[in-house]
Parts: sequence; structure tokens; C-alpha cells
Amino acid sequence: MPETPPATPDGRAPGVRISGLSVVYRTPAGELPAVSGVDLELPPGTITGVVGESGSGKSTLALSLLNAVQPPGRISAGSVEIDGLGDVVALRGEELRRARGRHVGYVFQAAQNSLNPLKTVGKQLLDLGRSHGVRDLRALVREARELLGRMGLDGARVLDSCQHELSGGMRQRVGIMFALVLNAHLVVLDEPTTALDMITQATILRIVREVHAERGLTTLVITHDLGVVAEVADRLAVMYGGRVVEQGPTRDVLADPRHPYTRGLLRAVPRLTGDIGEARALPGRPPTLGTIPADGCVFRERCPLRMDACETGRPPAVAYGARSVSCHAAAENRAGPEDGGPGTAAGDRDGEDGAEARGGEEVAAGAREEQA
Amino acid sequence: MITGQGITKTFRQRGAVLGGREVRALRGVDFAVGKGGAVSFIGESGCGKTTLGRIVAGLESHDSGEIAIDGVPMSSLRPRARRPYFRRIQLIHQDPYSALNPTRTIHQALAAPLALRARQTGRPGSWIDERAGELLGLVGLDPGYVLPRYPHQLSGGMRQRVVIARALTVDPEMLVADEAVSMIDVSLRLGILALLRDLRERLGVSVLFITHDVATARYLGDDGELYVIYRGRVVERGPVEAVVSGPVHPYTQSLLSAIPVLHGLEEPGAQRVVPTEPLDEGGPDAGCLFARRCPFATGRCTAEVPVLGAAGGFPQEHACFHPERRSVVAAPAGRA
Amino acid sequence: MTAPTGAGGTRTALRRNFRRGVWRVLRRKPSRLLGVLILAGFAFMGTVGPLLYPERLPRDDDALYAPPSWEHPFGTDFEGTDVLALVVTGSRYVLLTALVTAVITVVLGTAIGLFAGFRRGRWDTVLMRITDMKLTIPGLPLLLVLSTVWKFESALEMGLVLGLLGWGGVARAVRAQTLSLRERGFIEAARGLGLSTGHIVGRELLPSMAPFIAMNMLIAVTGAVYAQVGLFFLGVLPFEASNWGVMLNLSVFGGGALTSTAALPYMMAPLLAVLLLTLGIVLVVDAMDEIFNPRLREE
Repeated sequence: MPETPPATPDGRAPGVRISGLSVVYRTPAGELPAVSGVDLELPPGTITGVVGESGSGKSTLALSLLNAVQPPGRISAGSVEIDGLGDVVALRGEELRRARGRHVGYVFQAAQNSLNPLKTVGKQLLDLGRSHGVRDLRALVREARELLGRMGLDGARVLDSCQHELSGGMRQRVGIMFALVLNAHLVVLDEPTTALDMITQATILRIVREVHAERGLTTLVITHDLGVVAEVADRLAVMYGGRVVEQGPTRDVLADPRHPYTRGLLRAVPRLTGDIGEARALPGRPPTLGTIPADGCVFRERCPLRMDACETGRPPAVAYGARSVSCHAAAENRAGPEDGGPGTAAGDRDGEDGAEARGGEEVAAGAREEQA
Repeated sequence: MITGQGITKTFRQRGAVLGGREVRALRGVDFAVGKGGAVSFIGESGCGKTTLGRIVAGLESHDSGEIAIDGVPMSSLRPRARRPYFRRIQLIHQDPYSALNPTRTIHQALAAPLALRARQTGRPGSWIDERAGELLGLVGLDPGYVLPRYPHQLSGGMRQRVVIARALTVDPEMLVADEAVSMIDVSLRLGILALLRDLRERLGVSVLFITHDVATARYLGDDGELYVIYRGRVVERGPVEAVVSGPVHPYTQSLLSAIPVLHGLEEPGAQRVVPTEPLDEGGPDAGCLFARRCPFATGRCTAEVPVLGAAGGFPQEHACFHPERRSVVAAPAGRA
Repeated sequence: MTAPTGAGGTRTALRRNFRRGVWRVLRRKPSRLLGVLILAGFAFMGTVGPLLYPERLPRDDDALYAPPSWEHPFGTDFEGTDVLALVVTGSRYVLLTALVTAVITVVLGTAIGLFAGFRRGRWDTVLMRITDMKLTIPGLPLLLVLSTVWKFESALEMGLVLGLLGWGGVARAVRAQTLSLRERGFIEAARGLGLSTGHIVGRELLPSMAPFIAMNMLIAVTGAVYAQVGLFFLGVLPFEASNWGVMLNLSVFGGGALTSTAALPYMMAPLLAVLLLTLGIVLVVDAMDEIFNPRLREE
């Protein structure tokens, strides 16, 4: 499962390197950063999950992969290098249009509602084929039918159906089919299971995992739900206020989160077993475009480990083996005398216990702080 | 005490060219919520849980069955006489964005029902503002900040708190929370759930919680009851902990199996129940409704209707001919 | 932000904020300010304007159809009366009619639409049937018939007739809005809280429709101006009243404004007045959405 990156059958899965990416939105209050200085690598053949709340910039980041940020937003700095395509940020017009679909498949947020309600799925497929200059439309339809069949649907029937004849889970699968049918090997799924039931969600996530492995893809999943990422992703990046605050192998991050936000988020999700009293609300509220602090750490308003350095200095991403964390407190902790290195957890344990003790006090004030 | 007996509801699609299609949303549901109790309805969308919530809140009519509030059967009353009873049951909408009027300030939103209350109880006008502040404090908001604001100036979490405060203006006995946290940011959800739990303890308000997320239902209190609903029928019912830790109905088991496992933090359960077919609301009505999707179904399941009962000595009631505990829930990983 | 000191205090604060918000919205685009200025000018012209001239406008027999000059910016008419003075004195009837029409159209249309949409069921069916029937009555022929028996000497009468002919569209549209709004969570919540129907309709539904209603009102004003100016122009109504439509009629059919240049300013003046009024309204309508939506107002 998530641990071992699946083999890439033909080695066509592209790698993606996002570096120093910043996206700003023009507002009456000036240009505000939705994504600022994000470095993220998607190794070929892996599934990466980006987790964040509303306003974290996760969807904007996903759109940047296609250079599809809409005005009043624009990519103000950085690059997105995709193997076999080059820097997407530099692409324009026709090149860009061809790259979307051919190289990068995108399953939009609320894909359930992104189909044309007046046309059958098959007609929309042909439209897609023609707009991308596909010569052999028969082969395209055959491919679509196979993909749908692979996802447990009756391909011929689905192609003859209109949107309203399909259930939410079926539409989501149709969305995935559209993203893959032009043979893209980089796929972006934005909130693939929002508004779906638990059972349907589990089915979709299984399909995402299987199709990813079979077709040799590089996949990016954008979601607000840690559970979704935990189910499918090899690597996990946590975004907050337009920045990636922690990233690394999913299992490592979930087992031992180092950024106070990741910790708080994990603790704020009620679980099915264990002491339910351990679940704690995160104080404060996520920043919006207008309230993201310009300097220092974006999370400091809600952070139990807040210290002076957080006010002014933007925490650099510090590497711990395969992981990286952007937190002054975590960095200081690591530099502590007892810490033998990233592997041993002694130092981090202290930090965590400290956080817990202080976190308890904060909870009572949490709701009130939400309005500050 | 609010009880329902044999509640049924069928929606008929009107205007269909070839005869109206019928959707049986509820097929005889019994429930009881005691004072200060917490009852959660869980199930897939379309299972009828939202309809049941709306019926309980008096916003929807039912076809047959009886709702009784404090022992008074509602069918014995004229519609006008029912209103004060149903006013004691307040619905908290899923969407805090549409639940508040965008053209009215929070002060206006709270003052209107409070003014009505003041008139009914003969309190002076000054009580209105006082009480508005008090209620906002109760839901964890700063009245000075919130009162003059419009809904769009507040976050989703704050809006949902305002909606709860507004429901409290009429001193309700029960809050019906329909997916009340699903549209709220993950880091703020627990705060709202904690508030509901808190209101139970401090005001003795009972909570009817409608969700597809079983784990959040757990958070409302360890004395809570869980009703698992499938296609308008309760298939398993019992204390939350008992149902979650030892579900016996295959449908409950497949719901719990589907909950994502936080690998690293948790180990998946030893077993996993996956329905053999996707949900089809128009399926045959004979026998157990889940039989067609059930991996353990036998001939009896399609022929006979299982009745909700305590057979098999489990702590919960269930409607299954072959009840068996299966460990499908993830357990916390042993921390190394 | 000011803390509320009581119901009264909050209310005055709200009103102050609203006024500030309106000013902010208008300032956002210069065109809106221009529109307000134009409408204020017409309001001034309709109320105070006629008082500035004597009861009987002076004639100058030596200057029939005089060309524009400093003394007569739009020239004179066939009797040598100043055209500008005619436009100003004629404005009161036109504008008063338009106002009455707009008020009747909107009040009647909104009331019927709200009632039908909110009550639904039998009331809805009956009211909408009546509305549909009313919508099928052709307005102009009816007016022509009416004008043979009724002289429309007072602007109020004219406005009443035009208003009674115009509410159908508004009623339909308001009903549609009501039907969609009543399904919204906040209306359902208000009902669940036991708030009165009067409160729900007046305080919850109506404010949400305010921009829509205000727009309809302004558009009804232009419609009423066109309708009556058109009627007078066609000459189906008596010429007794001093009126833009009458001026148009006299300039075209009496002065031959379409064939000779002499009466051209005489025709242009009332035409310009109508166009300017329309422009003012169009520019102001643009701001309505932002004025009545707290989010857009404050931004």
C-alpha cells in the first residue's frame, strides 16, 4: 500500500519539481499571496497528497500545475518543471492547451457537476478528442470504455448516458476517465471524494490507487481530509496559509507529525477507537487571503509553541531525512542536546508533551480566539 | 422526551411523464430521544436520515406513524396547536452560509426571535440585548465583536455558532444537527461538536445528530445512541461504543470498513466488509433490503424481513438473520 | 467597530453604516455619481423648475422658431416661447406620472408576487392566472380606447392607468424569486423559530429582493416616460397639458422638424430630456446590487 512506491511499468511517469512557486491575487487591498514560495517535488510514479483547509492555497497550487490560475490571480514567481514538458509557467497559448489533457489530466473539484448536462458522456468524449486533434476517435472511445470498465462501470452504457442519469460516484469515475483518456501520465485530483458517501469514497480511493499503479502515473491528490491522503498517498504535504509547512512520507508524517499544525490537525479529527477525550479542537481559525501574516510564521496565531522568532522570521524548511518541516520550534528542538538525529524521537517527544500541556490550556480560549 | 413510532414517508416525483416514480424514504422508523440525550443517525446519503430529521423538527410531514413530544401525540393536535411543540425542536442546518440572512446583522438575527420570546413571557425589551449577549457567550463568541457584524464577515465556524445561538433563543429541548460540521473547516469542526456536547451538559438540551461520519457521533458523549439507517429502515441500534467496537450488521460493518485508516497512527481492522454491489435505491423491496449487496446473504435474507431486535445476546439491537461481530475498525497503532 | 449600546443605538449605527456604504458604492464609479446628479437634476426640475416661470410663458411674436441663442438655449417654438422653459414646465407632469406608475407597478407587483410565492397552493394558482390574463392584455390599444373617454388631465390619473397596466411582469418575477428564497435555510429557520409571517416576508424576504425591486422601480420609471411621451406624441391625448410628448408632436407634425431645420431644436430638447433621464437611471441601476448587498457594499 502507500509505503512502497509502485513500479512504473514503462517509466513514463513524469517527475514534477515545483520550486519557489508564488501565486498572488489582485484585490482592492493590493496583491495578496495565495501561495507563497512553495517547494514541492512529486517523484515519478508516486501519489502525493496535499492537505489543507480552506484558504490554504491547495487548489491554487493544483491549478498552477496546469498554469491555469485565473485572473485576478497570477503566478508571480517560481517554476513548475514537468519531465517531458519543461517549465509549465513559461508555456503559453496553444502549447499550454495541448499540454493540458495530453500530459496533465485534471479531475476538477466537484467533478460530479462538471459534465455538460445536455450532452451524453460519449459526445463530450468526442469533443475532447477533436479539440486535441485525435485522429483515431474509435480508438479513443475504445480506450474510454476500457477505462470505465476497469473502474467497475458498464462503459458502453455510461458513454450513452447524460449527467443526470449517473450517480455521484459514477460521475467521479467519469471525471477520472476524462483525465486519463488522452494518456496523460500526470494526474491531478482536486477533492476527489468531497460530497461522496463513505462507501463510495472508499471505492473511488481504491480505484485511484489501482489505476495509478496499472497505468504508471504520477498523481497529485488535493484534499482537506487527512483520511483520504492516508488511504492513497505515498507522500504527504501539509499546506497552511499558502505555504507547505510539513512534507514527507505519509506514514512517517502521520506517525510522528513535527509541525504543530499537523499535530493539531491530527488531534482535531475524532477517531473511531481510543480515548475520544484526546481529540482537541485547534484554537483560532484558518487565515483568509487578507489575513495571512506577511512576515514570520503563518501559523503562529494558533500555535502552542509560539516564540519570538515566529513573529519576524519566516521558518525555513529544515530537512529530516526524507521529510522537511518549516517550524522554528521544531528546528530548535532538533538542535537540542539530547537529540541524536531525525531518527530518534527523544527530543521530539519532549516537544510533543509540551505542546499537549499547553494545548490543553488553549482549548478553553479556542472558540473565543477564533474571532480575533 | 421525543419519540417516534413507525414513521414512514414516501416521496412521489410529480410531473414525470410515465407515471410518478416513488422513493420510499422511511419505512417505519421507531426512535426515542430522552432529555439531554444524544442520538445519532448514520447512513449513506439517500438513506432517509435527513428526511427523518426534518420530520422530527416539524419541517416535513410524514405519511404514517406517530411523533410524540413529552407524551403528547402530535396527530391529536391541530396544525396550529402543534407549532409550540415543534418550536422546542430546532434544526441546525448543514450549511451555515445559507442559514443566516445575508442582509441582516447577527444582532437582528438574534433579536427577532428574542423579541417574540420577550413578548410571550412578559419580559422587558432590555432583556433582548442582554440575552443575545448571554447566548453568544454561551456558544463561545464575543458579543461585542459579533453582534454588529453581517454573516459574510464571520468564518464558517463562527456562523455555525451563531446558528446554534439563534436556535437557543427559544429555549429548545432538542437540537437536530444535520451534518452540522461537514461544511466547516477541519480544524474548527471539533469546536462545534464540543459545543454541542457542552450544551447537553450545561442546558440539558438533547441532540439528534445526523451524519455519515461515525467518528464525530462518538464525540457527542459516551452515553450516546447510534441508529444505523439503510434505505429507510433502522438496521442496527445501540450505545455508540457498543456499535462502533462490535458492529454486527454487515451494513454497519461496511460503513465502518470504509472509513479511511490513518496509516502510521492506526492499524486497519482485521476484517473488512465491502458491499458486493453499489447502492441502488430502486432495488427490490422483499426481505432484507441490504441482502442484494451483502457478502453474507443467504436465501432467507431475500425471502423474509428481519426485524430489529436483541437476538444473539449482543449489547445492541440489530435487524440481521446472521449477526456476527467483526473487527472492521482501525485500532491505534502501538507507538514504538 | 462600535459595540452595541442597545437596540436603538445599534439601529442608528446601522443606518449610519448604510449611508456610508451607499456613498462608498457610488464613489466606486464616477458614472454612478453622474447618474445620481442627473436624477437629482430632474427631481429639482420637476419640483422647483415650474415655479421659476410665470403661469403663462411669455411669447415673442418676432422670434418664431428662433435658433438657439444665449437667450433661448434651445430656440423657441411656433409661438416664440422659449423651448427650455417648455421642457422645464412640462417636466412635472411627465415625472410625476412616471413616479406614480413606478410606485404602483412595484408595490402591486411585489405584493402580489410575494403573496403568491409565499403562500403557494391555491392562492398562487389564482393570482398567477390573473397575472397571466393581465399580461395578455395589449397595453397600447387599451390606452387608445381609454383615451377616448378619459382625458388624463392629471398626472396621477395617467400614472394610475399606466401602473395598473404594468405590474404583471414584476409580480411574475417577484414570485419566482420568492419561491427560490423560501427554500433557503434562513427562511426555514425563521419559520422554525415561530416568527410571524409578517416578519418573514417583511424583514427576511423583502431585503433579499431589495436590489431587484429597486431596479424594477427605476426601469418602470423609464417605461412610464416612454409610454406617456409616446401617447402624447401620437396625439391620441388632448394637448391641453404642457408636456414633452406634446412638444414632440407639435415640432414634428406642426413644425416639420423632420424636413426642415427650423424646428429641429424644438424637437431635440424634449428628446434630449428623455435620453438624459434614461441615461441617469441606467447609470444608477448599475449600483443597486452593491447598495443592497452588505458584502458588496462594504467590500
